[in-house]
Amino acid sequence: MSEHDVSFDAMGSHVRLLVGEPAPGMEPAEAAAERTRRFVTEFDAKLSRFKADSELSAFNADRRERVPASALLRAAVKAGLAAAERSGGLVDPTLADAIEAVGYVGSRAGVAGAPLADALAGAPPRRPAAANPAARWREFAVDDEAGTISRPPGVRFDTGGAGKGLAADLIAAQLRGYSRFIVDCGGDIRIGGPDALIHPYEVFVEHPLTGERAHVLRLSSGGVATSGLNVRIWRDADGRYAHHLLDPASGEPAWTGLIGVTALGETAVEAETLSKAALLSGPERAREVLAEIGGLLVHDSGRVEPVGPLSVRPRVRLPQPAGAGAL
Amino acid sequence: MTEAPRSRRPRRPSFAPVFWGSLALFAVLFTLLTYQLSAASTAEPRHVLVRKVIKRRVVTTVVPSPGEEAVSSGPVVSSAAAESAPVEVAPVTTGAS
Repeated sequence: MSEHDVSFDAMGSHVRLLVGEPAPGMEPAEAAAERTRRFVTEFDAKLSRFKADSELSAFNADRRERVPASALLRAAVKAGLAAAERSGGLVDPTLADAIEAVGYVGSRAGVAGAPLADALAGAPPRRPAAANPAARWREFAVDDEAGTISRPPGVRFDTGGAGKGLAADLIAAQLRGYSRFIVDCGGDIRIGGPDALIHPYEVFVEHPLTGERAHVLRLSSGGVATSGLNVRIWRDADGRYAHHLLDPASGEPAWTGLIGVTALGETAVEAETLSKAALLSGPERAREVLAEIGGLLVHDSGRVEPVGPLSVRPRVRLPQPAGAGAL
Repeated sequence: MTEAPRSRRPRRPSFAPVFWGSLALFAVLFTLLTYQLSAASTAEPRHVLVRKVIKRRVVTTVVPSPGEEAVSSGPVVSSAAAESAPVEVAPVTTGAS
């Protein structure tokens, strides 16, 4: 079993791709990997809010109410709206102004985050985030037949909430037919291929405080994603710590008692949505968010808590060595 | 010495009843099939609803961190089976980015 392994930087993150054997008539894994790299580059060029010449920036600056948009931008907006709907408004794609107001104006790719432990010591009291009842994402509408997106002019869209997961899912759709594959777009991961059912991939979960391995998942299909406070965290001009996961109700960074959440999902977009929604919900509600499909919570204390199906202990035990467990 | 009596051969049916009988049977069957075909072509097409049901299940196995106990969400996935699955590439890491 051979796999082509390619890594590169894009979307402000590290992208890694492992592609197995092609089905008869398909291009070799090397060619598929190269095509994927070009796709991710184009994805980033069109959908980055940090690039002034991106289609997203042009869309956000457009004063018309109904704006012609490419299929990729329409897909990104639909993914963002679906994430908002799924999370009850917690994952809000219209917080571009708010996130710039707290200091996240340019790309932070390659910029080391402020020490998370110090930020936690000085953070405000923990409380769950809440949706904004007056959120503007509900006013967006995508018309695929007309090839347009409508929204109130001036309301800016940010694909950051679902962008990398969407990229992973779109790449996975292009890799159907390969024996197995894994697409990692900055920690938002999608897995597929029939051989992965027999030989699952190992996915390490990084601990947000120590950077060490917090857990290992063996995954045969679907998506997995992690949201955390440890990378995009900084001190503002007043010396206060801020990060990129905002409470939609206040527009301020959310300090909920969780510093990292890893979620499983049928797709990478679903996993990304659930991980963000769970982190913003705080520990109590996060267990409910992840109850069905499973995930890992990392508390402020550093404690790692498997939830949902991952917390279920095996019902079949392997035979114990002779003498072990004797009463 | 007397000869054994010869067995009597069955009498062949005459040509006319066989011919007309076969022709009549053919005509009856031909008429019946023609009627069925014409009736089928004038009947209203039936609407057949085809549904493709895909049930997807994500099976995950959690391998413990050092010092932790193994847990599994898959039904009857033993630790031994999980350990025997070969992993030939460096693991992928999920973390905040």
